[in-house]
Amino acid sequence: MGQRVLITGVGIITAMGDDVQQHLERLLNVRSGLGFTDYVNTVHQHVLPVAEVKHTDAALATMAGLPGTDGYTRTTLLGLVAMQEALRSAGSPDVQNARTGFINATTVGGMVETERVYFDLTDPAREGEYVASADLLDCGDCTQHIAAAVHIDEFVTTISTACSSAANALMLGARMIKQGLLDRAICGGTEALTRFTINGFNSLKNMDRQPCRPFDQQRNGLNLGEGAAYLVLESEALVQQRQAHVLAELTGYANTNEAFHATAPSPEGDGAFAAMRDALQMSGRSLDQVQYINVHGTATLTNDAAEGKALQRLFGQAVPPFSSTKPFTGHTLAAAGAVEAIFSVLAIRQQVLFPNLNFSEKMEELDIVPNTELRTAPVENVISNSFGFGGNNASLVISKF
Amino acid sequence: MNFPCYIQHQCAISPQHTFKADIFSAPLVTTDDNMLQVLPPDYAGLIPPNALRRMSKVLKMGLATAVQCLADAGHPQPDAIITGTGKGSLQDMEKFIKDIVTYQETALNPTQFIQSTFNAVNGLIALQQQNTRYNNTFVHRGLSFESALLDAMLQLAEGKQLVLLGGFDEVTADQFQIKSHSGWWKKEKIHSADLLQHVSPGTIAGEGAAFFLLGDQPAANSYAKIAGIRLLNRPGAAKLEGALQTLLATHQVQPDLLLSGRNGDSNYQHFYEQISAALPGVPEVSFKPLSGEYETAHAFGMWLGAEMIKAGKAPQQWFPADTPWPSKLENVLLYNQYYGEQHAFILLQKMA
Repeated sequence: MGQRVLITGVGIITAMGDDVQQHLERLLNVRSGLGFTDYVNTVHQHVLPVAEVKHTDAALATMAGLPGTDGYTRTTLLGLVAMQEALRSAGSPDVQNARTGFINATTVGGMVETERVYFDLTDPAREGEYVASADLLDCGDCTQHIAAAVHIDEFVTTISTACSSAANALMLGARMIKQGLLDRAICGGTEALTRFTINGFNSLKNMDRQPCRPFDQQRNGLNLGEGAAYLVLESEALVQQRQAHVLAELTGYANTNEAFHATAPSPEGDGAFAAMRDALQMSGRSLDQVQYINVHGTATLTNDAAEGKALQRLFGQAVPPFSSTKPFTGHTLAAAGAVEAIFSVLAIRQQVLFPNLNFSEKMEELDIVPNTELRTAPVENVISNSFGFGGNNASLVISKF
Repeated sequence: MNFPCYIQHQCAISPQHTFKADIFSAPLVTTDDNMLQVLPPDYAGLIPPNALRRMSKVLKMGLATAVQCLADAGHPQPDAIITGTGKGSLQDMEKFIKDIVTYQETALNPTQFIQSTFNAVNGLIALQQQNTRYNNTFVHRGLSFESALLDAMLQLAEGKQLVLLGGFDEVTADQFQIKSHSGWWKKEKIHSADLLQHVSPGTIAGEGAAFFLLGDQPAANSYAKIAGIRLLNRPGAAKLEGALQTLLATHQVQPDLLLSGRNGDSNYQHFYEQISAALPGVPEVSFKPLSGEYETAHAFGMWLGAEMIKAGKAPQQWFPADTPWPSKLENVLLYNQYYGEQHAFILLQKMA
């Protein structure tokens, strides 16, 4: 099955903080990043809670070491901050010395900028203006800018499978390492809050006007978040060669599709069940070796019911402690899979289980309740789930090295 | 990349007569508008009518091409569905952006938001085919399709037998205008058949969808073997040349034909000149006068190359009369670059 895939670096920015250490402190202090938006121009500004990174674009550019924001969308800037930390965390390796790829994920790319300039861009009378903005519409823009800033050119691509995007980016990176195409892959996602996505999810009537309540009987939808997170994956051979410090191992992964509905999971969680089962099988771990599950847990009516049923189907009477960390970070969409993969790494490194905030009442269709307290426990293997529109399901197994 | 990969079936909707048509007799379709648009087939029978009504152009052509490709193959259940798209459903994205302003963020219809999700076509294919297996969507501009192809080849290398691969993009009036701001299109209106003779800044727009059923084993009716691919991000001239020579040396072939994405854009013409010069004596033809320029145009190029290899002949009526056709079409090298940044080679070979 080829090389083992080891995690040697992590970098993150969300409403919880600007780096991994700030995230850890805030998780351990049980302080949510939810609030209201200062930067998105929307009528929902004081109505719908979001988890926003409290830095202006200019401040983010400074953090990223850029002279200004010219040509860089908020999506790119968030990604660059997280990418730079991920590389530092991995010991600042020379990315030109080993075959290094960048596999990025985003759901709406530069939409945060596009929606500001769209009506100018489409006005034929303004031909010739806003030249630099024409490309911001697409998802490849942030990836190309981030790759160029950190000098990665061996392999660069972008994945968009809605809320499972970053998990699929991690999966592709691991597969390319195992097949010998890359020695190192930096994988994850970046997502900026936009009026487009806020209104999109609001039009689906699945946004809670209170802080979200995953796996609670009274749950009433999600809160959006923004941020970026990347993990540095390296082959065992490269790790040995450069004596890199290993944080954890990516031992299993699986991608399945619900084939049920454009935006809803199957009621019994068929796709979630298959993704967790297949990922665990690949990891070579048994059910009783899983000590924690960082669930997708968006707090929408359908997700939590389907995901909960999938947990019960897979683990029977012995469902391990599980929690959704979405009440801390909001749902960061394409970044969520990498944000939560990093939380899974932290759970292993710190030997802690993170709490599921805002839970009070068991769901009537389930026999299980989430872990609601921060507590220490032996954690060797964690399953991290990411499910999305289009029926896209992804599960990762992250293990102690 | 050098993994076993065979095109078992393929299907394309394009500005030419390519969908369930005899391409060797179909007339060339041209435009004088600098925008080649697809010839939509009759979607009834391919897409349920209630779904069809709400679907944008790219959703229709993406789903229909995928469904037809699988139907041609006898409705197998592929082990993976992998696609690439530069822009996804632009029509839906545009409508939702406008509705947000028009209705001041109230009473919005979620359909456009859902359909604007870049993996919408993949989800629709999985749903219609009841396929619960691996499903992925790449959105990396001019390497969206090629990234999907790489993932597909990895799947086959990992032991999967059948992968459905696709690439699709649509052109809209808004998108044409947006790219016009950046000088992506020629200022002068030209006849699309004369694209390569008009070397000036910019090119002409296009759109299309192409799907391929790829297998890990050769089959009786296989179109071609995908012998190798190479993706390059912002290569210098030396790296581009090196990639070409490595690809040819690895497979020990001299291509019979260079099927390029040359598009008459003087800004990036030198890349095509470089590849052409590196292959002395190899005739070059371009697929861009047939498809126009778009992020996943290389999918159309690969479809055309495989059609020619399988038939052992070219649809010569689509090309200028003085085109120097080779005596055999067994090794076809595809080269395409997207606005200077993203480059890709695909080497197709006739089945042994």
